[in-house]
Amino acid sequence: MINGNLKASYAADERILDNPYRRGFVFGAAALAAALPFVANDYIILVAAQMGIMLIAVIGLNVVIGYTGLLSLGHAAFIAIGAYAVPLLHRLFAAWGLPEGVMPLLAIPLAVAVAALVGLVVGLPSLRVKGLYLAVATLSANFIVIFLIELDAMAPFTGGFNGINTPEANILGWRLDSQREMFALIAGLGFATILLVQNLFRTRVGRAFIAIRERDYSAEVLGISLLRYKLLSFAVSAACCGLAGALFAYFYARILPEQFELALSLQLVAALIVGGMGRTMGPVFGVVIIVMVPELLKYSFGAIAGGSADVAALRAPVQEIVFGALIILFLMFEPLGIAQIVDRWLRSLNRWPFARG
Amino acid sequence: MGQFIQFALNGLLAGTIYSLIAVGIVSVYKATRVVNFAHGYLIMFGAYFYYTFAVLLPGLEWAPGWLAKWEPSWLLAARAEAEMFSPRATVLDWLSNLPRIVLGILGSILACAVLGRVIERALMRPMIGQSAFAMIMITVGLVSVLSGAKGLIWTADAAFVPHIAPNAPIRFELFGSMVFLFGADLVNAAIAVILFSGIVLWVRYSRGGVAIRATAEDQQTAYSMGISVPAVFGHAWVLAATTGAIAGAILATRNGVSPSLGLFGFSVLAIVLMGGLDSYVGVFIAALAVGVLEAMAQWQLGGEWAEVVPYIAVLVVILIRPHGLLGQKEVERI
Repeated sequence: MINGNLKASYAADERILDNPYRRGFVFGAAALAAALPFVANDYIILVAAQMGIMLIAVIGLNVVIGYTGLLSLGHAAFIAIGAYAVPLLHRLFAAWGLPEGVMPLLAIPLAVAVAALVGLVVGLPSLRVKGLYLAVATLSANFIVIFLIELDAMAPFTGGFNGINTPEANILGWRLDSQREMFALIAGLGFATILLVQNLFRTRVGRAFIAIRERDYSAEVLGISLLRYKLLSFAVSAACCGLAGALFAYFYARILPEQFELALSLQLVAALIVGGMGRTMGPVFGVVIIVMVPELLKYSFGAIAGGSADVAALRAPVQEIVFGALIILFLMFEPLGIAQIVDRWLRSLNRWPFARG
Repeated sequence: MGQFIQFALNGLLAGTIYSLIAVGIVSVYKATRVVNFAHGYLIMFGAYFYYTFAVLLPGLEWAPGWLAKWEPSWLLAARAEAEMFSPRATVLDWLSNLPRIVLGILGSILACAVLGRVIERALMRPMIGQSAFAMIMITVGLVSVLSGAKGLIWTADAAFVPHIAPNAPIRFELFGSMVFLFGADLVNAAIAVILFSGIVLWVRYSRGGVAIRATAEDQQTAYSMGISVPAVFGHAWVLAATTGAIAGAILATRNGVSPSLGLFGFSVLAIVLMGGLDSYVGVFIAALAVGVLEAMAQWQLGGEWAEVVPYIAVLVVILIRPHGLLGQKEVERI
């Protein structure tokens, strides 16, 4: 909540971008994303695209953890399903003889739908159990999904341990064969997702999610069907993760099952906690931090070690420690995340030169 | 039938080890209402500490020779007489390893206890009074930290670690079929069962145990009755860490020392939820059941299926009985 912004009408109060900082940030980010493919070098494009994919997934996780208050430690499974759905659907479409140009237009929505369906199934335990039991149930779902992907019997479809080559996107003849072009698609869909989810929480459905988060029994007394809304929350969030997975598959030339293991689920949770749970901007800040940490470590290790293999081998463990430490330190000292810190700054900026409240 | 009995026995023996790991999670939960997602990584540290004290330390140059291989003259004489691979020879082999095994276990317990204490002091105590969600997520963060710290400290892949007990093969007849077991597995299971029942009795009857149960019931009331709740938290964590150290040492001898030991903790977490978070008996039953189910899956479906058995089992049990086999139903007031 940023106070100190004068609103003269209800319309002004109900706007999504209801203060100049938000407007500045969103238009600035949109302009930056639009300009990046033309000015940035390949490395920046790569990092930005990674951020975009992560962002879509973390927005999805935010729906379940941040807004509905259901703890999930297994969202990497939905990303895996979205990612594996893409090459499988392409193979199916090729067998049907569909033209290549329409494949992504069908494959992306279908991948999202499949992920949402699996989300419904994984969400089923959320009706009977809460909190921790649910965390373990989703964790189990993550292990089971990865296990099924790696299973020998599934190897003809999923490639087993060795992963599977993914097709490149071809949208009505526009071949997205460079990371630069893929970034344009990712950025567009990222903006669309954040808008859709933000809008969701201005509707009946989103308010129901929040009511469940605050106290699920009270929500039920108010006439909110827990069955419907908890499952819906899981489906929405899984759908976002499925979209992230589909983009992941198009972005990289090959996907491996080990990319979607528990470590990814923990990264998503870390991003959400660092950024701020239940806030629109939370995933944005969190993803920037979580994607920048490995890059900064890569850079600083390169500067220190100068190519020595011994020191370079320490980078992966240090990265893990930093992720864990970020979760722990934010929970201990700023449980509301970076979104809260930024709000505090903006508040004091609004009131300057008086002391901040 | 013969194979069935063989696999069932193997499963039961593995199940006792699960119960030893599970007791750490249950104890911490009972005292602090925190489910320790990082328990598997504590166990992994226990295994690596055992490896350090039992293999790396005696292998150092300045370590006395008897530490690495204790060979008094009578032992050598007896060893020379004993037949190769006879039970007698394995016991004698074990005797010459005994100093480093003892050092390994003691060192592992001590180091893990310190680690548990540090975690409790630095991460858990400042969070007393905060939501359970925050405390649980801190243990999730701890998973990452511990797994990374392992990568920094122990870079080399581990080699052989000595068995805790003489590993003589034992053959005997059961229900008309031959059964084949390893001596070390039997002793490990015995250690696990004794520790498990010891802890259950301790929590049931001792002063410290009653304090843990009182804190579990209601922290505020426990405080006002003169129980130092922070001290109880500390005890529970040290208890979990020491049992974890022993479980880690046992696992190191069974499966070898590797980072994948950390993942073990998650399957045991599944077992704990299956049994009911606050019920020692339920968790023991669940541990044995999952051990047997895993062995059966390994027998009928192949080794890779054994890994997911606990996860599938917990999903089924949670859907039917949301609070586990014998867990207490939580009563919520609005």
